[in-house]
Amino acid sequence: MNRKLLALAPLLVFVLLCVFLYQGLFANPRELQTGRIGQAMPAFNLPDLMDESKRWTDSDLKGEVYLLNVWGTWCPTCLAELGYLTELREQGVKIVGLYYEQGYDPDFDGQFDINALRDDVTSMLNRAGDPYQFNILDLKRTLALDLGVSGAPETFLVDKQGTILLHHTGDINPRVWQAKFAPLMQELQ
Amino acid sequence: MRLVIFLASLLITFSAFAEQDKYQFDDKEQAVRFSELTKELRCPKCQNQNIADSDAVVAKDLRDKVLTLVKDGKSKDEVIDYMIDRYGYFVHYDPPVTPATLVLWVLPVLIVVLGFGFIVLRQRKASVKQTWTEQDEALLAKLIEQNQRQEQS
Amino acid sequence: MIPELGYFSLTLAMVLSVLLCIFPLWGAHTGNLRLMRAAPSLAIGQFVFVLLSFAALVYASLTDDFTVSYVAYHSSSTLPWYYKITSTWGGHEGAILLWLVMQAGWTAVVAMRSQSLPWVLRARVLGVLGFLGVGFMLYTLLMSSPFERLLPYFPVEGRDLNPLLQDPGMIIHPPLLYMGYVGLSVSFSFAIAALLTGKLDNTWAKWSRPWTMTAWGFLTLGITIGSWWAYSELGWGGWWFWDPVENASLMPWLVASALLHSLSTTEKRGVFKSWTVLLAIAAFSLSLLGTFIVRSGIIVSVHAFASDPNRGMFILAFLAIVVGGGLSLYALRVSQVKSEGRYKFASREVALWLNNIFLVVATLIVLLGTLLPMIHKELGLGSISIGEPFFNKMFAILLVPFAILMGMGPLLRWKQNKWSMLQNKFALSAVVSLVATAAWLYSSYDVIAPITFIATTLAVWIVVTTLVDLAAKVTIHKTLGEGFKRLGLSYWAMVLGHVGLAFVIAGVTLTSAYSVERDVSMKPGDTVALSEYQYSFDGVKSIRGANYSGHAGVVTVLKNDKQVTVLHAEKRRYDIGMQFMTEAAVDAGFTRDLYLALGEQLSQGAWSLRIYHKPYVRWMWLGGILISLAGFLVLGDKRYRQKSTKQEASA
Repeated sequence: MNRKLLALAPLLVFVLLCVFLYQGLFANPRELQTGRIGQAMPAFNLPDLMDESKRWTDSDLKGEVYLLNVWGTWCPTCLAELGYLTELREQGVKIVGLYYEQGYDPDFDGQFDINALRDDVTSMLNRAGDPYQFNILDLKRTLALDLGVSGAPETFLVDKQGTILLHHTGDINPRVWQAKFAPLMQELQ
Repeated sequence: MRLVIFLASLLITFSAFAEQDKYQFDDKEQAVRFSELTKELRCPKCQNQNIADSDAVVAKDLRDKVLTLVKDGKSKDEVIDYMIDRYGYFVHYDPPVTPATLVLWVLPVLIVVLGFGFIVLRQRKASVKQTWTEQDEALLAKLIEQNQRQEQS
Repeated sequence: MIPELGYFSLTLAMVLSVLLCIFPLWGAHTGNLRLMRAAPSLAIGQFVFVLLSFAALVYASLTDDFTVSYVAYHSSSTLPWYYKITSTWGGHEGAILLWLVMQAGWTAVVAMRSQSLPWVLRARVLGVLGFLGVGFMLYTLLMSSPFERLLPYFPVEGRDLNPLLQDPGMIIHPPLLYMGYVGLSVSFSFAIAALLTGKLDNTWAKWSRPWTMTAWGFLTLGITIGSWWAYSELGWGGWWFWDPVENASLMPWLVASALLHSLSTTEKRGVFKSWTVLLAIAAFSLSLLGTFIVRSGIIVSVHAFASDPNRGMFILAFLAIVVGGGLSLYALRVSQVKSEGRYKFASREVALWLNNIFLVVATLIVLLGTLLPMIHKELGLGSISIGEPFFNKMFAILLVPFAILMGMGPLLRWKQNKWSMLQNKFALSAVVSLVATAAWLYSSYDVIAPITFIATTLAVWIVVTTLVDLAAKVTIHKTLGEGFKRLGLSYWAMVLGHVGLAFVIAGVTLTSAYSVERDVSMKPGDTVALSEYQYSFDGVKSIRGANYSGHAGVVTVLKNDKQVTVLHAEKRRYDIGMQFMTEAAVDAGFTRDLYLALGEQLSQGAWSLRIYHKPYVRWMWLGGILISLAGFLVLGDKRYRQKSTKQEASA
């Protein structure tokens, strides 16, 4: 009996392995979560994308449920999700943009043309829809690093107390919204 | 006086070389820590690369951050914790010890124990079956020796 | 027309392999000799048609037939002819076709060189190989045909072979690796055939051994070349990253190494029978699992293979049938097997058993480290990464008992040993190893970490004990010449394999401990020092190749004011796709490599350069080559060449 069980063990281990491998086929291995889930929004003090004299801090954002959407004009997936995000804004979801500029290198300070960037942003938002209440410019990507952002698009869901509840990498579409965001939003409202 | 000149010349050669280096450090220990850290931290955007080898924007940002932290005198663990706070355990190539990851260490040890156990058990079973006397032992040794001599010749 | 013929030829091959799967297995089951006798010709026919099919793809590639989608995506008219041929395995579909060529090739060779086997066993081995062929051919024909056309609209120029793959390494690495992976299917088939026959005696081990050795030799060489290729091509001097794709090749290698040792024990002593069968199944299963991991995209790897869930599903299903079937058969049959041999604790049997345990544990560490991140995430526990720090630590720990045992093993005899007779040899070897290592390291380096010292000593220990054993075995005869002649080839294979691994251990240890690098920005005329070498930057010149242009940084290397070499580190931009590639310049040496990579252009004529000094890095690949030679050496062994007609008579 013992011997038979022992002979069966490799098969059982293999079957278990196959279950995990099968599930793995439907998962996205590149999807990542920030280490900030359940923590407060990190402190920051950054300028507005369109108006350098205006500054935003973490406390400005408290008191409302909002999405923080990391994006950039250089990113085609961001362009693709603008339409649906605009729809969400029309449904009353508050969306704040965190502008993630890839072209800026802190080692070459002073060579960056902010006006050209603003023109790009304006034309892209005019074309594809503007879902944002406002945009924060994170030129040095310090807030992005504090949030554990690795690229764009990425979206955070933050509650009234300023706690980060959700981090989604990749675009937001109706399917993702229904599966990940909608249930939490309902709870918060 | 001589000693001072000697030390000064040392310092000059050190800085002359250091000037060309991409990353500047206060001492060798910092340089080693930086090099270790950038090899152990994973680029979160890339396929499967550490931040030392990747050209991705986020890898460069992390590299610069590690450089700042190391030069601020942060220890290796402090820098790793700083990154894990932001990017999760994914960012470190050394997995955390949790109930779920314990299997990484327990299973290999278990197999070694079982492997040794198998041999010990076999020996014991074999010795229970027969009463093995000193004479048998001597005879066997002799036979084996003969046998081996034959094998080799 | 030719590509269609290629597809058609593959279809014919598939028909033959279906027959190869059914006839001999049915014949063996019912005792119908005529059906069994069909197997060899079916196997050879299958190979011919697969080869024709592959030739069709090579032809399409050489003639720049961009109406063929595969050629359009993976080749271009500007490629040199040898890379056009290489491009036939530069993409998924073609790589699988190459795999099929190997599979059919191994099957044909088995068919031709197995006359001495009893028909029941021979038919079953070929039948199982036929089954494996059916699976892969079905996959190629249904899901990944390289012969699909882009008609009526096809490009006038191809997308070119990925510049990373335009390297001599790509020409030989995949074929060698696949030879190894697929070769293990022969060991697998022997194991399954033995299980079907119900006779797990030492004869199957004897027959399976040379095949396993050869496959393992190819696998070793494939992995070695792969490591060397990564080192010379990727531009940061890395040679092993514990990437899932690398792990996928390491796992079957580790199990196959265990299998070799276990096969010899089973053959010589009739023990560990069921264990050996299990290893034979596991080795090929891990080859298949590796293929699944690599091709399905379930794990993030630095190797960006095209991934497609449907293909992943097919391979998983195939994996489940082959491995699940094999293990089910194992579970049914193996409990009846009894070991015969008896042995004491201090015996070669136990040493080989422990060798197997350590190799299996090493495999388990790699398997867990590769798959746990995926499972961890599936269980909703978040993402984790398992890489270098974990694997290096675990392998360093495992190395100590493994290497000590490896030194002792060859001196142990079967059944039992008098410890008192061995004591002196071991003590002497240990002292010699310690002294030699200390002399070596302290003469070269100021700082020696304990781990470096231990690992280097272990490498030396393996060499010393091997030499002690060799000396003892040679001097037992009247003359040295006689002594050398009397030692069989498999003994020499053991010596080569063990010394080869010692080189790998020493190389890995020393290059990890003493490699230094500098990341510098230099203007022409600048000089920087690294280790005992001075690197003087002469400037950058333009270069132009067949299908790329770019820059080469010229650096003169000096040692004690004497010129050692001039390095040309290239930065290439390929005409099609405009991808940048770093082509590092390497001055290879027996005890050190000087490695230089050109970075981007900085302001005011300065360039960024990475300079590496890598001591003993070649020893790894040298060791790998020695180990693989061990695998091929056994082919010449008389015991395997002379087909024992005795066996047939008795069967």
